[in-house]
Amino acid sequence: MANGNEYIIVTEKVKKNYEDDDIIVRAVRGIDLQIKSGEFTAIVGPSGSGKTTFLNIISGLDYPSDGKVWLNNKLLSEMSGKELSDFRRDHIGFIFQAYNLIPVLTTEENIEYIMLLQGLSKDERHRRVIEILEDVGMDGFERRFPPKLSGGQQQRVAIARAMVSQPELILADEPTANLDQTTGAELLDMMRELNRKTGMTFLFSTHDRMVMERADRVITLKDGLVVKDEWKSQN
Amino acid sequence: MWFTIKLAWRNLFRNKRRTFIAGTAIALGLASMMFTDAVMIGMKDVMIRSATGSFLGDAQIHRNEFRLTQEVEKTINNPDRITANLQKEEIVDRFTPRTLSFGMITSPANVSSVLFIGIDPETEKYLSQIDDVIREGNFFDEDNERDIVIGSKLADILEIGLGERVVITVSQAKSGDLSQEMFRVSGIYHFNIKEMDSGFALVKLAKAQEMLGIGSNVHEIAIKFRDMKVSLQEDNPFWTKYSTDDNEAVSWLTILPQMGPILGMFWISLLFMAIILFGIVAFGIINTLFMSLYERLFEFGVLRAVGTRSSGVRRLIIYEAGALAVLSCLMGIILGFIFIFIVTKTGIDYRGIEITGTTIRDILYPVFHIQQFIIYPVAVFVFTMLIGHYPAIVAGRMSISNALRKSL
Repeated sequence: MANGNEYIIVTEKVKKNYEDDDIIVRAVRGIDLQIKSGEFTAIVGPSGSGKTTFLNIISGLDYPSDGKVWLNNKLLSEMSGKELSDFRRDHIGFIFQAYNLIPVLTTEENIEYIMLLQGLSKDERHRRVIEILEDVGMDGFERRFPPKLSGGQQQRVAIARAMVSQPELILADEPTANLDQTTGAELLDMMRELNRKTGMTFLFSTHDRMVMERADRVITLKDGLVVKDEWKSQN
Repeated sequence: MWFTIKLAWRNLFRNKRRTFIAGTAIALGLASMMFTDAVMIGMKDVMIRSATGSFLGDAQIHRNEFRLTQEVEKTINNPDRITANLQKEEIVDRFTPRTLSFGMITSPANVSSVLFIGIDPETEKYLSQIDDVIREGNFFDEDNERDIVIGSKLADILEIGLGERVVITVSQAKSGDLSQEMFRVSGIYHFNIKEMDSGFALVKLAKAQEMLGIGSNVHEIAIKFRDMKVSLQEDNPFWTKYSTDDNEAVSWLTILPQMGPILGMFWISLLFMAIILFGIVAFGIINTLFMSLYERLFEFGVLRAVGTRSSGVRRLIIYEAGALAVLSCLMGIILGFIFIFIVTKTGIDYRGIEITGTTIRDILYPVFHIQQFIIYPVAVFVFTMLIGHYPAIVAGRMSISNALRKSL
């Protein structure tokens, strides 16, 4: 399938089945989706609707049972494991529900880890860390270890980690689930602002109404299928 | 790489108690290996000293085939030239000449066969330890040609005591005629070695030569080297130099061939112990690393998700194994040093215990050797790194999405 450059994600009849004791669970049942570069999109749906599975597939963390995924015009199924790792490193930022910073690394070390994988120089890494920490409002916390940070602060660092390598796509799986409403709202506003400022594409998997309220587009999944695809505003 | 090493090192201390327990187990294994090695070296030295120091010497020179036939005629050729040369040898500390023949010893109460040995008391006391274990009397009077020194068991068999008289009967060289002389028991020794306590009768060399009719010839020259290790050097020119004129120079290991396998068994025992200890260490490491791996499964999922290749995850686990090994080896080296040091001061008293015919005569002291502090720690480190590959491979192969799902 040909796809234009304006789409960062294109999926074609993506299916994912899990087999457990001869019982086949159809987690994703054929999703066709196009997401444009710079979108701030939420994938919503009840538990078990296939949100996380779909997110894993489009980020190359999991393989579809059937169908195709293009990311940045690259067909993921044609990539080797090593190429997929490098592709994720250079093109996708991840934000997880439980922050998942490495507790034995300082804020700065957590953020610079991906840049180390990319082979950036120490000076460049440091410069980018300082810049991104300012952007997420965490300047001055470079030497702190994650256990010494609040949940909101840890999630800010996680956002900084996801964005520091300047990927085209940020995938956020329930990023506000462990945060109180005020902190969650603050972080969502911050991500919205960064989306506008940098043009990075944000794709959320969420139950959170606050995310839906801020998203340009809300895609609703149910039983592994897209049942609703709603544009709230134009970018 | 340094970042990964730093990360591995810090990960090691995330669960300090577990790391301490696993590290201590590995360290104790290493310390045990080092200690056993030190004891084995000490045991080997004690056994060799016990075997050679009591009577044998580090080496001996005989006429060819004398050891096999024990014929009285087979005396060493050119003994004067040999002794003159031995005096010039840098590696030789002491030597003593002996005559050896089988004979009969008779007391008023009993009779027994003995190895009738003619010795030079002045030089003999530097070679054998008989003078050190005299239980009654003296190790020969200066002037009395008819002194005889016998073992405690032989004295019991003959039912005689100090100062009593015995008759020695031997057959003379060439003629085969019997020669008999009366001796007075001047000393009774007790070695706690059955063969020596019941089977040896020692008289002065000149008297023995006279009785055997061999002039000034001798059957054996026992040698003590300055460094005992020379006796184990098969390629040392000493052996060929003195194995001429139909004579043979042989080390104690040739004379007591059963000692070779016994010493070899020490190292086999050490090898078995090493295998068992390394097995324990292996399970300890695998258990620790897998516990650590499954505890942090989501974290590894995150690392993989953000772009770490599976080789990077494998490397991290192997470095963690390496960090555990470094820590354990440092602890093991310190523990091993302490164990060995303490026992080098106290010693292990195995005196009197007989091991395959050799009665331990000295207190056993473990011996420090540099290899204990290099080979064993390096072996444990390399082994730990190798074992670390198993959990590393498992971690490298894990499904990222499954790992990320684990803690959700």
